Amino acid sequence: MNNPTRGVEHDIIQRPDGGKAPFYIPQKDEVEIFRAAWTKRLPVMLKGPTGCGKTRFLEFMAYTLRQPLVTVACHEDLTSSDLVGRFLLQGDETIWQDGPLTKAVKEGAICYLDEIVEARTDTTVIIHPLTDHRRQLPLDKKSQMIDAHPDFMLVISYNPGYQTALKDLKPSTKQRFIGINFDYPDEALERKIVAGESGCQKPELVEKLVAAGRRARALKDHGLEEATSTRALCYAAELMSAGLAPLAAARAAMIYPLTDDPALVEALEEIIESHFGEAA
Amino acid sequence: MSEKEALVEIEEILQQLDAISFVAQRDAREALPMLAKESPAIRLQWLRAARDLFFHDREAGKAFMRATPSLYALWGDVQVWTTQALAFARWVNSWRALEGFMDQAGDVYAEFGEHGERQWYALGMRWCERSVEDGRAYFCTDYRKLADDEGIDGIESLLAPATALADKSRLTLKTYLPGAMIARRVIGTPGLKTWAQRGADLMQTGRARGEAYFRLENAEGVRHLLDELPGYRPRRHSRFLQLLLLAWFDEEIPLADSDWRPGRGRPAMECDGRSIFMPAVLSNRDEAVVAALHTAGHLRYDTYALEEIEALFAYRGSEHPPVDADQRITWRPLFAPYEARMFRFQILFDLCEDLRVDARLIASLPGFASRLSRLLESTQPPAGAAGAYFEFAFSQYQKLLRGEALDPRLDPLCDESARLLDAYKAAELLFADERFTPIDIDARSEAYLPGHGVNTGRPVYPRRRYDEIHDAPHADAYAGNKQTKDKQKGKTPPHSPEQRQNDPDADINLPRENTSGTGGRIGVGIPMPSKEVLNRGATRAEGEGIVPYHEWDYREQRYLHDWAKVIERTLDDSKPKRAARILEKHAGALKRLRAVLEMQKPARLAPQRRQPEGEELDIEATISYVADKRAGLSPEGNIYRRRAVQHRDTAVLLLADMSTSIMARHPGGDGKIVDHIRAGLILFSEALSSLGDTYAITGFASKYHDNVNYYVIKDFDESGGAGVNARLAGISGRLASRMGAAIRHSIKRFETVDARHRLLLLLTDGRPADYDDGGDPRYLNEDTRIAMKEAVDAGVHPFCITLDPRGGEYLPAIFGPGHYTVLDHMDDLPARLPEIYLRLRR
Repeated sequence: MNNPTRGVEHDIIQRPDGGKAPFYIPQKDEVEIFRAAWTKRLPVMLKGPTGCGKTRFLEFMAYTLRQPLVTVACHEDLTSSDLVGRFLLQGDETIWQDGPLTKAVKEGAICYLDEIVEARTDTTVIIHPLTDHRRQLPLDKKSQMIDAHPDFMLVISYNPGYQTALKDLKPSTKQRFIGINFDYPDEALERKIVAGESGCQKPELVEKLVAAGRRARALKDHGLEEATSTRALCYAAELMSAGLAPLAAARAAMIYPLTDDPALVEALEEIIESHFGEAA
Repeated sequence: MSEKEALVEIEEILQQLDAISFVAQRDAREALPMLAKESPAIRLQWLRAARDLFFHDREAGKAFMRATPSLYALWGDVQVWTTQALAFARWVNSWRALEGFMDQAGDVYAEFGEHGERQWYALGMRWCERSVEDGRAYFCTDYRKLADDEGIDGIESLLAPATALADKSRLTLKTYLPGAMIARRVIGTPGLKTWAQRGADLMQTGRARGEAYFRLENAEGVRHLLDELPGYRPRRHSRFLQLLLLAWFDEEIPLADSDWRPGRGRPAMECDGRSIFMPAVLSNRDEAVVAALHTAGHLRYDTYALEEIEALFAYRGSEHPPVDADQRITWRPLFAPYEARMFRFQILFDLCEDLRVDARLIASLPGFASRLSRLLESTQPPAGAAGAYFEFAFSQYQKLLRGEALDPRLDPLCDESARLLDAYKAAELLFADERFTPIDIDARSEAYLPGHGVNTGRPVYPRRRYDEIHDAPHADAYAGNKQTKDKQKGKTPPHSPEQRQNDPDADINLPRENTSGTGGRIGVGIPMPSKEVLNRGATRAEGEGIVPYHEWDYREQRYLHDWAKVIERTLDDSKPKRAARILEKHAGALKRLRAVLEMQKPARLAPQRRQPEGEELDIEATISYVADKRAGLSPEGNIYRRRAVQHRDTAVLLLADMSTSIMARHPGGDGKIVDHIRAGLILFSEALSSLGDTYAITGFASKYHDNVNYYVIKDFDESGGAGVNARLAGISGRLASRMGAAIRHSIKRFETVDARHRLLLLLTDGRPADYDDGGDPRYLNEDTRIAMKEAVDAGVHPFCITLDPRGGEYLPAIFGPGHYTVLDHMDDLPARLPEIYLRLRR
């Protein structure tokens, strides 16, 4: 919390400064796959449900590889000029300002397009030449072409099932990427993650929390659009270590953000109470 | 008459009897010594009565003589009861009633005194006068049950509604009594009147239906009682319970309704190896949760696994009986050797198996133990034979919960490797224990602990062992769950035969009532057979072209799954000439409409950005334009903002009610309703074609829940024109209007359309109604309301246009204020319909 660089403007391209590494515990072979893709500078697609650690993984990888990371959260109004850049007026002249993607391409950073499906389809097309052997970014407005820096790497995240059938990546886009599949970690690992992330010192509490979270996950697709994520479990553990009663913390982090459906709330409450209530 | 003469006559009568029947004189001679203390005159009076009854009806005489000793022992006043008994000779075939009287009179006298007995007798005789069968039902029913601790007043209040019912509806006492006694226990004497009144109303609609109500044989009969029962209603919380089971057991276990009803012992959950059957009511939430978890525990720990059941039969030295038509195994052969003591064994076996399962559940389910012990502490042991079983079970459970050692016979069941067969063996050991007194089926349910019930009552669908179904170790629930779900996909179990029998609309299989004639509600009208419509869908093979939908039952607050069946049909009645006539007639209206379409100016304008022309500059676009320009590019001059109607990405589906009632004349206009609907639809189609919006026109008509016809007159991808107009001109009314199902099907049809705004226009002339709605308008109203909500959830905006002048009474509740319009003036429909759409699409 007392990091002096927080709350201060800085350029989006920043090489990791050798501070503390982001907390990440590998689930499977994702680190090896990513390293291999990095060696060959292949574009990578991270797939998986919300809150299972995709973004954290990338931060961790950028840190280990000592590469700057540029993250762009995609939304439905994101246009290609938001990514590539635009002309601005300054005094009597116009100046070109690079977008985040262009910066990353020029300076050799990892560019992370989060939730790429949310962006308009025209934006997804401009990344095509970057993702194959050409590794080029066309700047239409300037009639220029940039050959990507050798260290440039493109990563996108993609959450299947989260979007409706109407919103999906075009197959021509999808098949340009190396896919790394993420899921919620297994129980033992999840305990380690929750304990490590939240700094919660009570293993029995973490154990119950993870067990309750896994039970709650079974209710996905039964009215629960998004299952209880590892992130939600970490939040709950953090609330607990901040002194909140376990029952209240679990409710606040694991039920109320997820659903308003009374039957679901009742079922989730029941699960949490079985683990944390007087009954347990 | 002197004493001597009396004695002589006694002897004469005995000889007379002897001459006629050996049995008669033997019975008389056996009974007479009992009356030895009475004077000869009284004895003579008795014997005369016996003879007269015997001559009237041999059985009556025998019943009188045989019951005499026991009756006399309780009630010494021979003259009174002899006179009372002799009165039965007035009717033919009254001997059974007399038998009942003789059996009970003594006890009644002992309990209520002579005055009370006389009242009891008089009540019965009044029924005998109506019909001997009614009298028999009265006298043969245990007076204690009739009185229910309220004495003669209790009997009178119980019978009061029956008198009116017998006079008005000719309902027999035999039909009335058993149900009424159960009903009184549930709703008390004051509630009995309303209960009977409801039944009387049903008797008016159909005799069989009314009688079934009184016998508590159909859903209607039970529902009224269930509404009054206190306790937790698992059916209303079925979604919660299902989610809970899913979370704990990683399995989607179907929850069905059991046929438990008041009067059938203590309610409990049951399982057939596939579904869990829930009773309508349980004492509290704890019991419901424990019962659900416990019953699912049986599935989890393989009580119903084929392998385990086979092991059981192998142990018994036999094979399990062949599966029945529904592929189920019955447990009966296991219990049959115990004959009369079958229930005793069954309870013990269930107890052992419950212990085995609960021991595992306590170990694996957090919170289960404390909930179970809370539940156990709140219950009282039952009286009677069941008490011993209950108390034994209770003490064993207490030990189990405290972690102490159980009875040595049961101890092996706590082991993790214990199986169904071990429970059976333990039960055999317990069976030898004499403390478990014989028990009958009525007391059986009392012997179980709360949240527990008969495990082996239903034939079961044998299943695979849990670890075969779930490959992954149970410890990793999430992973296991995913795999199970994949395996379970597409394997929804069919309804079990019990469920089929419990068809709440079973009464519609009864002979049809004659519903022709005048009257009927709007929306139903006069049912008329239609050549396009087949008979009830029940006879049609399941599957092809039939789409099942759930339906909302507000009384139960839950969905009836796959209840309404929608059948898509095409309408091949094409009337091109009529269509041409309609277009001609409404040419003026159409012209005006076209003019409106050309110049329609929406009231609210949405700004469009980056337009080539417009009222004001789009600042952002302008800056970008100037910047690009200065940079030496030649950008396109899209720098304006314009306030104009956007090209709307709208799809509309017009769903027309095609029930019989549209064939009627409308009070607010000329001609039949259907004429105006045809014209309205044709103009609508014309208007939308010229607008270029995506639209479809469909209609619906239903007869019973399993036959909802859905007519696609114009599909989204079809283009309008003469062909569509001809079809629209050919529509006619038929059957009733089950709106909910039609709306749900319409929502489904929208899935094929890619449009931002989806509008569902419902054109109707009355409230939703169908032949099987039980005369309860609220039922389909509520279902329609829920269907509307589903539409909104699916991104479809519903709007209702009704021709029913009273629509304002019920439409706000169904569609919500502002989501409907009532067209009072019928003649307006053709012009108004497209207008309404235009207003809506802004």
